[in-house]
Amino acid sequence: MRLNPIVKKDIKVQSRSMRICWGVFAYELILALVFFLAMAIIQQESAYSTNNIYSRLVWLYPVLAVTQLIILGVVVPVRTASAISGEKERQTFDIMMTTSMTPFSVIMGKVMTAIVQSMFFVVASMPVMALSFVIGGMSWSYLLWFLAIALLVSLFSASIGIWCSSLCKKSISAVIMSYGLYVAFFLGTMLPYIIYQIAESAAYYNGTVTTVTGYSYGENVCLFWLINPAVYLVEFFVEVMTGESFVSQIPNIGTGTLQTGGPIRYIASGHLWMVLSTVMFVAISILFLWLAARRINPIKKHGAKNKA
Amino acid sequence: MLQINHLYKNYGKFRAVNDLTLHIPQGDLFGFVGPNGAGKTTTIRIVCGLMVPTAGNIMINGVDAMTHQKEIKKQIGYVPDFFGVYDNLKVREYMDFYGSMYRMTSREIAKISDDLLELVNLSDKKEVYVDTLSRGMKQRLCVARALIHNPALLVLDEPNSGLDPRARVEMKELLLNLKSMGKTIVISSHILSELSEMCNSIGIMDHGNLVTAGRIEDVMENVFGSNQLIITLDDGRETAVRIANEYAGVKVNSVGEHEIKLSHTMSKAEIAKMIGTMIANDVVVTGFHKQEGDLETLFMRVTNQEGGQENATQSNC
Ligand SMILES: Nc1ncnc2c1ncn2[C@@H]1O[C@H](COP(=O)(O)OP(=O)(O)OP(=O)(O)O)[C@@H](O)[C@H]1O
Ligand SMILES: [Mg+2]
Repeated sequence: MRLNPIVKKDIKVQSRSMRICWGVFAYELILALVFFLAMAIIQQESAYSTNNIYSRLVWLYPVLAVTQLIILGVVVPVRTASAISGEKERQTFDIMMTTSMTPFSVIMGKVMTAIVQSMFFVVASMPVMALSFVIGGMSWSYLLWFLAIALLVSLFSASIGIWCSSLCKKSISAVIMSYGLYVAFFLGTMLPYIIYQIAESAAYYNGTVTTVTGYSYGENVCLFWLINPAVYLVEFFVEVMTGESFVSQIPNIGTGTLQTGGPIRYIASGHLWMVLSTVMFVAISILFLWLAARRINPIKKHGAKNKA
Repeated sequence: MLQINHLYKNYGKFRAVNDLTLHIPQGDLFGFVGPNGAGKTTTIRIVCGLMVPTAGNIMINGVDAMTHQKEIKKQIGYVPDFFGVYDNLKVREYMDFYGSMYRMTSREIAKISDDLLELVNLSDKKEVYVDTLSRGMKQRLCVARALIHNPALLVLDEPNSGLDPRARVEMKELLLNLKSMGKTIVISSHILSELSEMCNSIGIMDHGNLVTAGRIEDVMENVFGSNQLIITLDDGRETAVRIANEYAGVKVNSVGEHEIKLSHTMSKAEIAKMIGTMIANDVVVTGFHKQEGDLETLFMRVTNQEGGQENATQSNC
């Protein structure tokens, strides 16, 4: 297999700019600050309790991991937003499209660049992260889990960024649009549940459902949470830290004597949920990348538009 | 080589290219001329597969460009009218990058890019960052880049814009060089005199219509009825006129103290032969050239019907 030329070129070009140095510096600085802050809080907490301080140090793992994932989630769209629109602004995009590169390989090159870069940050911050294993006593196998999730977060946010980049003329509007999409994933997937809750409490208040027994299917709106990145991370870290599943509580959040019915009963168990959710995120990423590739193809196969 | 059939392109309701049919034979250096907004760039972008035409088709070496994108891309090298380069990338790496986009191996790329940089006179700049090159150098680098995959057809959109006279001459030499290597070249410009020096055929476009196209001599003949040639000489005027009159299709228009103006339908080779005969017969020929402003007149005449008439009459006297 040969390396995508775009990856090779982009990495080379970006490694020559000072931006990457400052980037790594800022990344590690934030991590270090979070580390000291977490340590300070842990120390203070254990001052008032008889618990061994070491039992609390394991919390360094989720704190440092989540910090990194949030930074990646924020930074990756900014970097990828210029992937296509930047080439258009520089007017190198047309030339690229006249070469043997297919639109899809251009997109793949861009997404791979983004992933390699964010993994570079993650690896560069290993020394800080390692603290949570060394003094926190976390099992090293969780390092691999963290890497896998960092990979998924990078893929997901990169594909959002690239899709927006292919739609927008200006890089800056691509960034804004990417964050807009984030909001849609974080809050939009919560909306059906919120509406359901309001409707149900209204019904409860009116006394229409109090005596009904049987199955309630309303909780199935929580299936939207499968594509909510926040739920995904919460589920992962809650399970790692406490050994309990967060989402398996969902079937119990129905009110009254109703039993929860429908697919949510089976899906909302820790492992199945994580597997399904992972598959969904990968599928959504691929969908975005496919849409982006379609979008940048100058020769569209179906329904060719005349308006440029 | 390049066959464009009934090409149409609409931008919304605006028609940028209207029923363009054109054939460019193998080995031609074809000049695409027209005023701003004539539709040159639009046509070129369609040929290069960067746009879908509203109607019509394009054949390159008998292969339909719309349905066989992959093969076509290997045959075309494209130099756009505006282009940028990447920061922090060296000339050699720039060539590498585009070479690998054509799936060439690094050994192939290294060999070809050395030759190409030599050809465009940038051999000593291999390790220089591309964004620090001068405009003319970037332009030549872009030509070298367009040739990395050894395409049969090279398409350049206004390669001379923004170049100083010296860089233009270098560009012209480069293109003539490429032509002698057997490449088919399409170049667009709105500066006619430049094209007339290097192109062997031209097409004139205006408002999306191809007004006329063909070999330069034929186009001129179509518009003026014949070509104008001015021979300047020091001695042997009578002999010169006699020899000129021996050639078919030559009409001596005026004979001055040191120059003869004639209209003709001869090929370049025939002109050379005629001048040669004159010199052999002791005529002291000091120079000969096409009538000044001919192409500009032609340009005005075909792109602007009313204004063109006046200009044409001026040039005939
Ligand atoms: N993307 C577009 N959308 C709408 N109209 C366009 C677009 N591109 C070009 N046009 C119009 O099509 C016409 C032809 O444009 P084109 O760029 O092909 O001209 P040109 O011959 O290359 O001119 P120039 O010498 O200025 O480069 C112009 O009137 C232009 O306004
Ligand atoms: Mg143009």
